Amino acid sequence: MRTFRSLVAALSFLIVATPALPHHAFNAEFDANKPVKFKGVVTKMLWVNPHAWIYVDVKKPDGTVEEWMIETGTPNTLLRRGLTKESLPKGTEIVVDGYQSKDGSHRANGRDLTLPNGQTVFLGSSGTGAPYEKK
Amino acid sequence: MQRRRTVAFLAGAGALAVLSLALPPLFGQPRPNGAPQFAAGYRAPRIADGHPDLNGIWQAMVTANWDLQDHEAKAGPHNELVGAYGAQPAGQGIVEGGEIPYKPDALAKKNTRFENRLKVDVSSDKTWHDLGDPEMKCYMPGVPRATYMPFPFQIVQGTSPYILMAYEFTSATRIIRMDWKQQAPTDSWMGWSRGRWDGDTLVVDVTGQREETWFDRAGDYHSDALHVVERYTPVSPYHMVYEATIEDPNVFTRPWKISFPLYRRMEKNVQLLEFKCVPFTEELLFGKFIKQAAR
Amino acid sequence: MRNRIFALIAALVVVVGVGLVVPAAGQAPKTYNPPKTPWGDPDLQGVWNDATSTPLQRPGNVGVGVLNDEEAEEFQKSLAHDLTRDRRDGGNAADVNRAYNEHWMDARRLKITADKRTSLIVDPPDGRIPPLVQASPERQKVQAARAAGAARFAAGLPDHYTDMSWPVRCVVRTDVPPYLPTIYNNDFQIFQSPGYVTIAPEMIHSARIIPVDGRPHLNKGLKQWLGDTRGHWEGSTLVVETTNFRADEGVLFQGANPATFTITERFTRVAPDAINYEFTVADPSTWTKPWTALIPWNKVDPAEQMFEYACHEDNFDIVHFLTGARLREKNGETVGQQRPARAGEER
Repeated sequence: MRTFRSLVAALSFLIVATPALPHHAFNAEFDANKPVKFKGVVTKMLWVNPHAWIYVDVKKPDGTVEEWMIETGTPNTLLRRGLTKESLPKGTEIVVDGYQSKDGSHRANGRDLTLPNGQTVFLGSSGTGAPYEKK
Repeated sequence: MQRRRTVAFLAGAGALAVLSLALPPLFGQPRPNGAPQFAAGYRAPRIADGHPDLNGIWQAMVTANWDLQDHEAKAGPHNELVGAYGAQPAGQGIVEGGEIPYKPDALAKKNTRFENRLKVDVSSDKTWHDLGDPEMKCYMPGVPRATYMPFPFQIVQGTSPYILMAYEFTSATRIIRMDWKQQAPTDSWMGWSRGRWDGDTLVVDVTGQREETWFDRAGDYHSDALHVVERYTPVSPYHMVYEATIEDPNVFTRPWKISFPLYRRMEKNVQLLEFKCVPFTEELLFGKFIKQAAR
Repeated sequence: MRNRIFALIAALVVVVGVGLVVPAAGQAPKTYNPPKTPWGDPDLQGVWNDATSTPLQRPGNVGVGVLNDEEAEEFQKSLAHDLTRDRRDGGNAADVNRAYNEHWMDARRLKITADKRTSLIVDPPDGRIPPLVQASPERQKVQAARAAGAARFAAGLPDHYTDMSWPVRCVVRTDVPPYLPTIYNNDFQIFQSPGYVTIAPEMIHSARIIPVDGRPHLNKGLKQWLGDTRGHWEGSTLVVETTNFRADEGVLFQGANPATFTITERFTRVAPDAINYEFTVADPSTWTKPWTALIPWNKVDPAEQMFEYACHEDNFDIVHFLTGARLREKNGETVGQQRPARAGEER
């Protein structure tokens, strides 16, 4: 009987469904040696392509506020799931888990975005991540 | 002498008045910057669902992309390098009534945009869109500007609830969703278009446009509250009349209207070609960030 | 071929789609007769999605083209495990490439095709792209220059905006034929009107308006990024031929040569909710033989829609890449020698 567990190793470099991906190499822009994890308050979200951006104010221990720009994926995926610009209102506290830009600016890729209670932002209450969720 | 001229004038006016009563209303009441006038009674061929067939490749002939209002010919950018190339032609405005009704503060913002139309500065995300005509940067032009760009566009109309409009300029497209309830889920460069039929006129309601588009190269602009209602009316086998009512309480004192004819492109086997202008703009936008030794 | 997004990712399987309909596309059709438009063309209209985890090429040690149910389930699980973005194993270097996590992606790309094939390629029978032809010296030079630019970009040190690929520069993306599934925005909308079939891929907002009335192609001298396309019907199948590709390198799949590349695509509606999209590509400058792939397109839920995909308009990253490179060059980094930022470094 054939099994495909042995395929996992082989698959890792053959999974390519499309090599001509319109995606930049994340590790070209973000630094694996500079992981970041912080809590901040959303000031705005740009629902734009090719990447949506979330602006977050992060309060530092000394009381000053740093503005971070979090790069995320295409908003079209979220729109198809019924989310809208109102889905992440200004003032929402979120936890950003990602990697800082290699140029040291206050920019990070939004590897994981959660609410303080651990719920993934944008996943919605049903949480299946299904391509589109009926209301 | 004066009296004779007056009498002659009155006689002539009287004759004209009599004539205009006698003739059918072929030319209507002429007024400055009014809607195009066509003979009444044209009935466009139908598509299978009984609606007028608007399929085809269309193009505007007006020079509104330079300036919606009346404009004289002018030297273009960098004429010391390129002479008459890129110079602005003269054009009669397409704004009904003549003037765009800006609020007093808003007119100053139009002028600022015009002064900065050839400048770009994309060094900061936050001010990325502040300067420069978006057309120059090869950004999608929005509605109604896409209609009067000096490029053709194609209407793809079947019998489904979707009509596609494809514009040669930067291969922009928009989908007109017929009899559609859902509102714009987010803002977009070409807006969120919902259509319906009003007799033989296709009426398109456009909301959700990005505030960064301009109406023309003269700096005419709007806010994110822009609401456009378009009307496409076939008036001959080769013409449609295009009208658009523009409403934006943040910028204008009242709604205002533009109108002009659209002409069917008649060349044999004519098709939309590509005007993918992004590569034409990269040096302008990004040239100052490249490695200097790479020049 | 570099592919950082797909390589090395592994994590929890997010088995999605309990409610997803397993599509019927790809199976041998029981001669489904599609409805026709009022003017008599087979009706392909609607919004379709081509996402799948089935790889383009058959994995190396798989000797079979089609799996049984049990094997298919295993296959799908393995692929989903590798592809999902929610994994946190593998260390930071792997993790940085997993942004953004799974809900930004098209969940349907974690499902294999309903016909349980082990590759999208159906010809050659081994399911693999044929061996490459030895490139001519001229092409080797061209390819080397592109590769050098790509290496600079991958290192985060592009010299110039031309070091970035056409998709990153927002010139073309999914819309260059052949259409291949990707991580998101795998939707296509098909419109039909008398004499035309129009295919609108979501990225980058373009429409391929295909005359089916028998008119000739553009003259040879008039070239386009997406080529020039003509279609005709063979029974229920729309056969699409595209010629007149521009000479720019790096637009076509696997760097194929626009001067010698040919492509034929076929669209057949095989079920109410499925289209078989099949393409055959050939390029004697690049591949030793033509090859063919079959990718099912599944009809989306009626409430799912295409949305505008503007790209160049807000493509801030071009500036980020270039300015970041200038800063790091100033700090002494080169393509061969990158190092993490040191404390106190200019920010």
